[in-house]
Amino acid sequence: MGVEYKVNRLRATGNIRPLVDKHWGDLRAAKERGEKVAWASGPSFMFPYSMGMKCHFMAGYASYAGGIGAADELLRLAETTGDLPETCSYHRLHMGLVEAIKKGVPIKEQAILPLPDLLIAGRYCTEQSHYSESFYRRMGLRIAPLELPFVFNKEDRPRIREFVYRQIVENVIPNLEDVCEKPFDYDRLSEILSVLKKTATLRNECWKFLATKPATWTLWDYAVSMAPVIYMMGDPAGIPFYEDLLKELKERHEKGIPALAPEGEKYRIYWDGWIPWAFLGKFMRKFTPHGAVCLCGRYPWEMFPHPELIDPEHPLDTVVDWVYGEETGLACHMAPKGSIEMIGELIEEYSIDGLVMFSSKSCRMWNQSHLDQIDALDKKYGIPGVVIEADMIDPEMVQDSQIDTRLQALFETIDGRRRR
Amino acid sequence: MEKALSKIVEVTSDPYAYVAGLKDRTQKKIIGCFPMYVPEEIVHAAGLIPVVIWRGNESVTWGHAHVPAYDCGITRSFVDDAVRGKLSFMDGMVFHVRQCLQVGEFPLIMERNVKPAYQKILYLPPIYKGDSIKSFLLGDLESFKGSLEDFTGKKISDDNLKESIEIYNENRSLLERVYEIRREKPEILRAREVMQIVWSSMLMLKEDHNELLRELINGMEKKSVEPKKDRIKVIPVGCLCQTLQFDILDIIEDLGMIIPDDDLYVGSRYFANKVNPNGDPIEALADRYLVKTPLCPTKGVWDIDWGVEVIKQMKENDAKGIISIRVKYCPPHTCYYPDFKSKMVEEGVPEVMIEMEHEIISLEGVKTRLQSFVETIGGV
Repeated sequence: MGVEYKVNRLRATGNIRPLVDKHWGDLRAAKERGEKVAWASGPSFMFPYSMGMKCHFMAGYASYAGGIGAADELLRLAETTGDLPETCSYHRLHMGLVEAIKKGVPIKEQAILPLPDLLIAGRYCTEQSHYSESFYRRMGLRIAPLELPFVFNKEDRPRIREFVYRQIVENVIPNLEDVCEKPFDYDRLSEILSVLKKTATLRNECWKFLATKPATWTLWDYAVSMAPVIYMMGDPAGIPFYEDLLKELKERHEKGIPALAPEGEKYRIYWDGWIPWAFLGKFMRKFTPHGAVCLCGRYPWEMFPHPELIDPEHPLDTVVDWVYGEETGLACHMAPKGSIEMIGELIEEYSIDGLVMFSSKSCRMWNQSHLDQIDALDKKYGIPGVVIEADMIDPEMVQDSQIDTRLQALFETIDGRRRR
Repeated sequence: MEKALSKIVEVTSDPYAYVAGLKDRTQKKIIGCFPMYVPEEIVHAAGLIPVVIWRGNESVTWGHAHVPAYDCGITRSFVDDAVRGKLSFMDGMVFHVRQCLQVGEFPLIMERNVKPAYQKILYLPPIYKGDSIKSFLLGDLESFKGSLEDFTGKKISDDNLKESIEIYNENRSLLERVYEIRREKPEILRAREVMQIVWSSMLMLKEDHNELLRELINGMEKKSVEPKKDRIKVIPVGCLCQTLQFDILDIIEDLGMIIPDDDLYVGSRYFANKVNPNGDPIEALADRYLVKTPLCPTKGVWDIDWGVEVIKQMKENDAKGIISIRVKYCPPHTCYYPDFKSKMVEEGVPEVMIEMEHEIISLEGVKTRLQSFVETIGGV
């Protein structure tokens, strides 16, 4: 008889929902309070925050909408007005949102956002610019664009860093100053980064409990806890949240309570790509019966993985170096070649048995050269991997049988190699 | 004219054999430039032969071990060709990785499986305001030039660049002339022939192509054709990056429509805008890239409306409708298309969208859509 695995749920992660609801609720009511509102894509939302603006974050909002079950209606709404189903689902979701705002179509209340006074169009993924361009054409919204290239060759990094820094100074900051009618508040950016530094430091302590064998918590637990180190950046509420989470993880560890009952995981899995926000429960149920836990991934490790490098005294440099710095430079890990290096580090740090590359059918940002990445990593670390095809929020793109078959194949391959 | 056309058909019927033969004949290295914006002039000035990478006409097989089925046709076809060794005559490859996400697939796949002697990544930025854009673009082009110098071991002088710019500008002028004559006498060439003429420019040495075009133009100028007044003029738009299946062009014509002009990549977009022959050549190449029209959804331009531009082109050509050719899984075009369509509806312009896949199972669906379209705009 096989082991019956069950998730030991954490108490502390249950505290995140009220925090993120409050975050989006504050944004929703910002205009009523006479506050300025921005929307941002890519790592650029901290600039409007520094000006005291309330700001949406494209991927953050899409994940929130997915999490609260609002994605499907927004996606279908976009399609009824001409958006094509193969378009990036985050893009389509926003098109649906704007359509709902424009025409007063009733949607889930929590998903409604006010239209922005300024769009910071961070073009991290090349497709991110399309949504802001479309908003300009449909609504005439003001745009401050920011090109944020992935770094394909490390030798290109210094000049790309300089380019991005210049764009922020030349374009993003003047637009914000113009909209807010005041000088850019570097001190506020420093304060935000100080809070972030404390939060991310605590978060890193929590990460250590993903490396324990058996694991004390899972990637899915961390995924739902990411907001304080990303779009809730600077909100002091993130500090007690992570303090509480860390306390619970320490207690669990001391008592020998693993993430998976009864005695911990059989397979330790690396997860590449977006988190399937609208289907977290579904995916958890696909891994748990096999005794598999997902523990780490490139995307969730994007959020200031090195808090020791956050320097509130040099706020602009810190923000730019987060993406383009020599030591952390996450834009280097976005390109397939750099990703192999980073995934390799995670494989070793978290004692990974297998790789699951989550290939989003509508967003190729994390999908580039997935099959070659698996091959390269298998050759170097002897770890098998599979690609599963689905989407972050669009249920039309998620087919159980394909995912189940590939996961089954992965677990069988790991078993086969263990028997050698 | 027939001789020139027959050469063009030969080149485009088997581009693999032609380019491989070109390499043998000239003893020059071939650099594959992934469409759409690699400045070929710099490659040419380095004494190498730039060819624009194309979509093959075979089903993807080995390529699917490297890229997903939901990448666009040229992405999958190019990877397939490359890993099967069909492009072994290419000594180098250049990719503009900020054009769309799918181009980002290539560098690692090529490096691991094809190992070209030369590979260069360009970041050519979108056309945003601010000095930093042009300055970064110039840096990119200088880095490109430097990498080619390292590859060949020879300096590229400003004179080399100016000479190449002159040859490329001449090619653009000659292609413009072909299009002018087609506008005057749309019946003079089949649409597939026009596409082959532009495509051959992407594959041949520009000097050879210029010669061929001169011969072709001479014949076109002399040839008189019987105007078919019942034909309905339409403008095909889109098909970014790649050739479209010639059969689709044939169907358009067989249904009683005629194409006096186009807004296709393997069409008027390829030769639009000349490079300033005076001044600093790298800056002149950067300036050409920074021209916002013909509008391309990969270049981050939002203050000019693609729909407005195309309607203008349609009116200038006295055409009655627009046929959008959207490549399946082309995110830049797909994201733009709803706004483009809205503009057509707003302006009362008849428009139909044809979705083009690499592996066409049946053209019946395309034919039905086009048939309905031509009937709607009052055709045969």
